[in-house]
Amino acid sequence: MGSLEDYLPDSERGQSVLNLKDESTIADLLSHLKIKRRVIVAVNGDEEKGSEYVLSEGDEVLVFTVISGG
Amino acid sequence: MSYGYTGKILHVNLTTSEITVEEPNEQFYRTYMGGSAMGMHYVLKETPAGVDPLSPDNVLALCTGVVTGTPISGQSRLTSVAKSPLTGCIGDAQGGGYFPAEMKFSGFDAVIIKGKSPKPVYLWMHHGEAELKDAGHLWGLTTGDAEDKLKEELEDKRIEVLQIGPAGENLVRFAALISMSNRANGRTGMGAVMGSKNLKAVVVRGKQKPTIADPERFKALQKLGKTLLEPTGMDDFGKYGTPDVTSPQNKSGGLPTYNFNSGTFDKHEEINGRTLYNEHLRGHEKDEQNRFGRDTCFSCQIKCKRVSQIDEGPYKTDAKYGGPEYETLATFGSYCGISNMDAIIHANALCNMYGMDTISCGATISWAMECWAEGKLTSEDTGGIELNYGSAEAMVKMTEMIAKREGFGKILAEGSQKASEIIGRGTEEYLITSKGQEAPAHMPQVKRSLSVIYATNPFGADHESSEHDPAYKAYPERMEQIGLTNPQEKLALNEEMMRFAMVTQHLSSAIDSLSVCAFIFGASFQLYDSNQLVEVVNAVTGWDTDITEILAVGERRLNMLRAFNSREGIGRESDTLPKKMFKRPLEGGRSDGYALDEKEWEAALEDYYRLCDWDTKTGHPSLKKMESLGLGWVVAENEALSQVVT
Repeated sequence: MGSLEDYLPDSERGQSVLNLKDESTIADLLSHLKIKRRVIVAVNGDEEKGSEYVLSEGDEVLVFTVISGG
Repeated sequence: MSYGYTGKILHVNLTTSEITVEEPNEQFYRTYMGGSAMGMHYVLKETPAGVDPLSPDNVLALCTGVVTGTPISGQSRLTSVAKSPLTGCIGDAQGGGYFPAEMKFSGFDAVIIKGKSPKPVYLWMHHGEAELKDAGHLWGLTTGDAEDKLKEELEDKRIEVLQIGPAGENLVRFAALISMSNRANGRTGMGAVMGSKNLKAVVVRGKQKPTIADPERFKALQKLGKTLLEPTGMDDFGKYGTPDVTSPQNKSGGLPTYNFNSGTFDKHEEINGRTLYNEHLRGHEKDEQNRFGRDTCFSCQIKCKRVSQIDEGPYKTDAKYGGPEYETLATFGSYCGISNMDAIIHANALCNMYGMDTISCGATISWAMECWAEGKLTSEDTGGIELNYGSAEAMVKMTEMIAKREGFGKILAEGSQKASEIIGRGTEEYLITSKGQEAPAHMPQVKRSLSVIYATNPFGADHESSEHDPAYKAYPERMEQIGLTNPQEKLALNEEMMRFAMVTQHLSSAIDSLSVCAFIFGASFQLYDSNQLVEVVNAVTGWDTDITEILAVGERRLNMLRAFNSREGIGRESDTLPKKMFKRPLEGGRSDGYALDEKEWEAALEDYYRLCDWDTKTGHPSLKKMESLGLGWVVAENEALSQVVT
């Protein structure tokens, strides 16, 4: 979401389908996207997951930052 | 010798034109560190209890902090405090830019203003001197025009100007102080306080750079800032600015929409940070936004400020009035159901030209739009303007009418709470205010610890007074630095979340006392963490402070603000949230059906009071707490306070 869309190749409105190796973790996904900053990752809806979480085929992953204020 | 600060506080009595300089000792600076805490020292000493906020006796303090003006990101901030004409409680507002650093260079850490000038004047602080000058020719001018004139007559393009616009002159209750024609000490009506004193502007210029106690250590911290840009994501934050949060807020169901009745705006992409950057910032046509569409504050590497320009059409806008922040995109946008970016950019510019808070202005209009939708307002009230949700034309028109106090704008210029008292007809049901201040664009229904902060914050609903709920889980290492090690599940509103709210509130409060930027220094996403903030203070001042002392400064300031309200007879009965947050579940999106539960909320409020050591029945700070913070004098010197603080 937001500025993180810059890291997503060929995205349309911030969404993209990615093919990763089997047993890829969230850490692998972030490394694949070259995201080095602190982010929050939610898988299939509201549930926030840690970096070691193993992704499965068809998972919908939401990556966003926590910046408050404005 | 003092490091970081000048050691000089300017006192100005506008009634008598008397100007004096005070030189407090080092202990004074160590106790308050600057900003809001320092200002409150003077407000509590010099403002009589029960003062009319628009009377000469209301004291206005403009304060920098001990690191302001040193060459590191996030230090050029100024805090203003005085009794608020919007809320009747203490008022407090921070702003950035180049003015705060230049004020330090002029030779003063702060200026304490009282009285009322018989005619419009401006205060000219330069090279260690200060004088009052006639401002009759500036009265009535927009901020941009007044700044141009001042540069011309003082024959110096490098002066910095903190001023009121016509809205401040017209005593709009949410009038702001504006510098650079686009930076605002926005909230709680400090512009109306300055207007009531016939003080058009404070103008500063000087060359007295603060001395740094440990230059090597300071240099290392400057370098560290550069290496932290990427891992903290502050480089992206600089590119897209605060508007970058618009769509993530919407996704979480926390983008206030239709006057806080929903947390989801179907047109959020039309008003988000990417759209603003790609299609509206100055220079976007040639992909030169980074050069022409971003601005910064003194010595800050982030460059998060927006610059937008519209060359033609009904929303023609001069780039000198800047560009909208997230809060502004929300209040003039989703709050009002408006997705016309040009109209929002223009409304933002009008607020900067006339000198008004964009949050209260947009939120007051969205309140009026809900009243209109519910049939509580008609065109008879509005002079024919149809205040339909989504009407960009009506929103822009009303913004201008508020600034000028024309027609229905005269009523809305009172702020939504006072306007609802004038209008009646059940319009108070639609208010989104706490202590009379309109809620900013973060939703307590979604980030629940904010619900207690919005209600109890001494200067009304505020989003910069604590960290927001998701930060607890997202930044465990940084949270541990301030003793927070037990993150809770989403939507939890329990004792641990109240501890999170209070401890991060103390840090935010210290940040507003040090008068540094809440995007650069803080407990979570910011460039520098809490320990690095301590390092910066020590490198500049030569002190040996630690995070415990810094948090105590924040707690001291919070209790001073709270004690001011206690002295006015304002306590627990005013610690409330808008009724709709309990009674009207949000509609649509991720937060569909969300509402606060009254019983759970009351229990959390009591937990918060207990943690703060405030009386759970009255909400006043305890005498023990005040004394432990070195604030026994506040109680001893104020008779009204000694009766309620026990």
